[in-house]
Amino acid sequence: MKTKKESSEEMFVSGSCHDEDQPAFPAKRSKPEVPSEEIVYHPVKLSRNDLYRPPSAEELNQLKEAESLFHCSLLKMQMEELLKEVVLSERRRQQIDSFIEKVTKCLQAVPTLPKVEVSDLSWLSGPVKVPFLLMPKATKGKFYMTPPASINVIGSYPLGTCIKPHIKVDLAVTIPADVLQPKDFLNQRYPRKRALYLAGLAQHLSSSSEVGTLRYSCLHGNRLRPVLLLTPPGKDSSFTVRVHACPPPGFFKPNRFHPQRNNVRTEWYTGVQTAQPESSGPPTPHYNSSVLGDLLPRAHLQFLSAVSSQCSAFTDGVALLKVWLHQRQLDQGTGCFSGFLASMLVAFLLSTHRISNNMTAYQLLRNSLNFLASTDLTVNGISLAKDPDSSAPSLAEFHSAFQVVFVDPSGHLNMCSDMTACAYKQLQHEASLSMQFWDEPTVDGFHCLLMTPKPMIRTSDHVFQLCDLVKLQSTCKKQNLLNDLMDLSGNYIQAALPFVLSLLQQGLGQRIHLLTHSLAPDLEWSVESDAPKYKAQPPLSFGLLLQPELASCILEKGPAADNPKAVEFRQLWGSRSELRRFQDGSITEAVLWEGESMCQRRLVPQQIVTYLLQVHADIPEASVRHIGGIDDVVKTGSEVPTTGEEESLVVVQAYDDLSRKLWNLEGLPLSITAVQGAHPALRYTQVFPPRPLKVDYSFFDKEKISRSLIPKEGKPCPAYITPITVICHMEGSGKWPHDRLAIRHIRAAFHIRLAELLKKQHNYTCRACPSHLDVWKEGLAFRIQVAYHREPQVLRESVTPEGLLVLRDNEEAQQLEVATIHKPLLTSTLHGLQQEYSCFGAVCRLAKRWLAAQLFSDDITEDTADLLVASLFLQPAPFTPPGSPQVGFLRFLHLLSSFEWRNNPLIVNLNNELTAADYTEIKNGFMASRESLPVMFIATPKDKKSSMWTKRAPTVQMLQRVMTVAAESLKVLERQLMDGKQLQDVRVVMRPPLDAYDVLIHLNPKQVPLLSQAVDPPSVNFSRGVTAQSAAQSGGSLPVIDYNPVFLYLLELREAFGDLALFFCDPYGGTVIAVLWKPKAFAPAPFKTSQVSARTVKVTGNEAKTLPNVEAILEDFRVLGKDLVKSVEAKMDKWSF
Amino acid sequence: MAPSKAKHASGQPWVIPGGFSVLSLQFSSGSAARHCLYVKEHKVRTEKSSHRPLDRTLFLLNIPPYCSEVVVKELFSQFGGIESVELRDHPGSSQESGPKISKLFRPAEKQGFKVGYIVFKNSSSLQAVKSYPFDAPLVVSTEQRPVKTGVQKWIQQYSESFIQPEKLQQKVDNFMQSYDERKEKEAEQKKEEAERQQEEEEGWVKVTRGHKGAKARPHSEAANEKTLQKEKRKKRRKELLNFYTWQHRNTQKEHIAELRKKFEEDKQKIALLRAQRKFKPY
Repeated sequence: MKTKKESSEEMFVSGSCHDEDQPAFPAKRSKPEVPSEEIVYHPVKLSRNDLYRPPSAEELNQLKEAESLFHCSLLKMQMEELLKEVVLSERRRQQIDSFIEKVTKCLQAVPTLPKVEVSDLSWLSGPVKVPFLLMPKATKGKFYMTPPASINVIGSYPLGTCIKPHIKVDLAVTIPADVLQPKDFLNQRYPRKRALYLAGLAQHLSSSSEVGTLRYSCLHGNRLRPVLLLTPPGKDSSFTVRVHACPPPGFFKPNRFHPQRNNVRTEWYTGVQTAQPESSGPPTPHYNSSVLGDLLPRAHLQFLSAVSSQCSAFTDGVALLKVWLHQRQLDQGTGCFSGFLASMLVAFLLSTHRISNNMTAYQLLRNSLNFLASTDLTVNGISLAKDPDSSAPSLAEFHSAFQVVFVDPSGHLNMCSDMTACAYKQLQHEASLSMQFWDEPTVDGFHCLLMTPKPMIRTSDHVFQLCDLVKLQSTCKKQNLLNDLMDLSGNYIQAALPFVLSLLQQGLGQRIHLLTHSLAPDLEWSVESDAPKYKAQPPLSFGLLLQPELASCILEKGPAADNPKAVEFRQLWGSRSELRRFQDGSITEAVLWEGESMCQRRLVPQQIVTYLLQVHADIPEASVRHIGGIDDVVKTGSEVPTTGEEESLVVVQAYDDLSRKLWNLEGLPLSITAVQGAHPALRYTQVFPPRPLKVDYSFFDKEKISRSLIPKEGKPCPAYITPITVICHMEGSGKWPHDRLAIRHIRAAFHIRLAELLKKQHNYTCRACPSHLDVWKEGLAFRIQVAYHREPQVLRESVTPEGLLVLRDNEEAQQLEVATIHKPLLTSTLHGLQQEYSCFGAVCRLAKRWLAAQLFSDDITEDTADLLVASLFLQPAPFTPPGSPQVGFLRFLHLLSSFEWRNNPLIVNLNNELTAADYTEIKNGFMASRESLPVMFIATPKDKKSSMWTKRAPTVQMLQRVMTVAAESLKVLERQLMDGKQLQDVRVVMRPPLDAYDVLIHLNPKQVPLLSQAVDPPSVNFSRGVTAQSAAQSGGSLPVIDYNPVFLYLLELREAFGDLALFFCDPYGGTVIAVLWKPKAFAPAPFKTSQVSARTVKVTGNEAKTLPNVEAILEDFRVLGKDLVKSVEAKMDKWSF
Repeated sequence: MAPSKAKHASGQPWVIPGGFSVLSLQFSSGSAARHCLYVKEHKVRTEKSSHRPLDRTLFLLNIPPYCSEVVVKELFSQFGGIESVELRDHPGSSQESGPKISKLFRPAEKQGFKVGYIVFKNSSSLQAVKSYPFDAPLVVSTEQRPVKTGVQKWIQQYSESFIQPEKLQQKVDNFMQSYDERKEKEAEQKKEEAERQQEEEEGWVKVTRGHKGAKARPHSEAANEKTLQKEKRKKRRKELLNFYTWQHRNTQKEHIAELRKKFEEDKQKIALLRAQRKFKPY
């Protein structure tokens, strides 16, 4: 029975937790510990002999290299380890080699068939289809199936740059010269014959037992270049062989494919006779380069092998570059920067002597990124051709035909022909970003560079999708892109994309740093089905990296009315553009977007995108799917929806006013030295910032003496008024007593005095208590605490019997210090962060809303959560600081789910105060005393050693649980957001799984004052004694401040039953308190006077054992929460004691 | 409770090993579940305080949070007259040290399960309690004296938390006055002592060593520490570095050892990460 409970507990903390050796649950220790699982860092201990033995020359070199070349030998070793992980093993290579041998044999045995017309497919018996979209249908020419002239392995595999995962081995099959005719390069005749040839091969292979699955795909999404994918039989399909069909080398003359020549006749493509003479049609550069690309793979392989043989680190360098590209999703799809291009880039750098042959892989990667960051291939193309023949096109000619130019060794082919300028800009942006943080000693460079994946949704501040890709057809029609369509053989997505991108770039202009788009993925389909249509592609996603200051500007100011550019402006903005007169007297064209509150203004880019696509690209609003709406859960406000920025500002302004008035108070015995806010609302991070309220007096009882309001029994609980903590430091003086109790009394006297003065001089309603002073001001409640800077010191002092004055740290002093010194400091620091990054507060609010909704707000406290979010802004590498609440929230979830707290401290460099030396110091200190430090260790400049914000919570189990739930939430959310078919409902991740808990206490909504803030707000709401009018006055009776039955109940429960159970609740309108029994408390314990709380006794023989008195405890839940508790639901079936 | 019913005839007291008698307690007469109170006569070898006379004091365990001192007094008055009731978080001797301070200035009390000490007027009451039958529960809240819990209690608490500024001021003044008096008295005492030291018998003044010096160096831990540090620094300043060849050689050796150590550390970190499969990029 006991083991069963244990396992359920383990389920709760979700199994594979590495931190089992923490002391919290010693029951787990009983498990036999496997030494190999024991992954704990212990400081190294080298013997004296080892450290001081004379070094050999080699060792000396190695040490010196590590010291000078890399930051530390760590990075070097990390890269070596990474390479070991991605490089193919010997066993895998053997598998691949033997499979290729079999396939080659099989392919050579292809039977020869009689010659037929190209359009005649009768020879293709069986279910195998041709991987080609026949558009238009008619083709001239003859074709027959015959064994290939030669079969070679090409590409990355023979070069040794092939890496895991998705191992792809390229096999070039040469179509015999007899099958082709010299004029075949025209009008898609050659591509069609190639597709037929592949179909023939597929048909032959499908009957062979040597091959597992057969599928078609196309090379980098280019439908003119289909490939056949083979996997070995059996389950082990860890690699695929890509069969390319190629013409014999030199079959076509390369100068036929000059980017300015036409090889697809308009007449043939449209079927309409025109009077134009042959060969003077519009140039077809993309068609040309796709045919030419087939001619050259062997030459490229030869070239790269030659380069590789000279530079020993070539393969490793390229492998690293490929990993880097893969993490940024740049290496796959149409117009990608593929591994082939990566090799070519390194080869280019070697041939131009920017990299020397004896550099290491690390330097290769660094120099490549440096080159990419500093060179703009959209303007200054590069060429590998050493001495191009005269017929080869010039770079200028390439630039006029393509957006990005990187010419191959032959001088005829642009290898980046499909790449859009935006894709290259993204590559460049990534490279320069990597270069920025590479040298930063405070960043874990290796991790950011090569280990962190950067999916678009977590990278871009705003993401939207084009769902109905068919709509792009009308874009082509509207913009008259027939020539491009012909060039791209009817691929309307590729044809329309450059236009859409330039339109958006123009419209968004200064508002964005970068516009990125997803690369259409390589489709794969079975050999027995037809090639999928273009519209079957997944939606096209666009990402915006916003310029925070300008992105939410509601005014787009154009040129003056008489400026010639005004025409252009009007054309772009159409009917939205209107003439406006500004305060400075200028009259210009301008566009005004809607947006009153910050949360509406954030949607301006969204409005622009929708509008422009509708007007210029004929894409209806319904086809554009903006990803967002996450901030719905923190939205308030009835008329104008807001996400709290405006309310926070009101609070901060009221506080500023109050602090000014405090400073100017006359008649205090000591002067005030500082007034500091210490509340999340004063740093813009309160989930629901307090709003000024006006109280309805008739709703309350009245306390006679102090004229204060008191909640009435039988009525719904009054609205909760948050007290906003303000710390008020008093001047130090010899008059302060040197005794803890006396200080406490003096503070109370100050509270009384302040209350009197505030009442007299400003007519604020005040209430003085020994511990604080509540001030009711303009509908907000401030809680002022007087502090004396030497009080913690006094609390620490004690005198030993010998009369020695000693300082001993204690809990009380620490708490006081946190409340009066560290909290105000954190508040002002984070307030500063908000000024720098406008969406910081919104991200905090979302993050804390999620934590609260998942019932974690007692484990990850507000301050901890704010620090976690701050770390996302202060150390965004490999990203840029979040520019929207949504992306910030997603990264917060990712941080929570992936950070390895066991072995790493999270260092939050507030105000940029920490230096590299501090970082090392913190890390070393952390490593040395890991066991005694909090599970979640967060270091800040003011707190390098103790992690004060996480000292109390979370525990190992709770942290593990938080991580699991965060990972799951992130997965669900990202899938939902990126899947065009699903409805976007962020609330899914805000509903906690309640079946993991043992008892649920359902609360009476009437007595839950924050009910309207619930994740799923109820339809009915109760009157809570506040009137709707917003103009709140100072003075009058003191309203009910800080009265929340739910908090009071939770406090009582925890104090009474904290040893037996954990209590969880969503502080923002949660109507359920979830209870989890502590398994340890349910084991029979011997009768001890200190351990009998809420337990019954059971006598066996001469021994008395105690067990929790569950029935009575459940009864107590009801008794203690009378009128608040609706029902107590005990899930007995889950219990096992 | 189920086992107890099976074992004990009705109307009998139940005494468990350890000498505790078990009483049952329920919140109201309608409650289905009961708590167990464990009672025993108060017996400690060294009871210093006179508040708990050994023969008349009852020691109570497991008092639910809704039972205040008043309620406990009510519940047990049926066994005889009660002199005082004391509820505490933990068992232990009472510590009534320091000046008496108002409730307002004491840290908030915990609202958990408590232990109690009831002092009866007569020692015979103890026996009455111990022989009280187990199956006749004590009822906390009856119609005559309802105990407020939940929302009612919180509202009451809220309204009781108000205190008139004048009263508070009064309390502060009182305390500070007594504090000042105490300080004065202490100061006087010290002065007297000093004087006494100075004028020892027969008008001779005793010269103690370095009275001034003692004043200059305060008698505290931090000061001791500081002096030690200063001494150390002085010593270090006198040393010469890299002066002799062997010193220079040693420095170089240390450097290499440092590099080696770092290398080993890094190697270990890597091994650790590798064991956790931290190098799989995707």
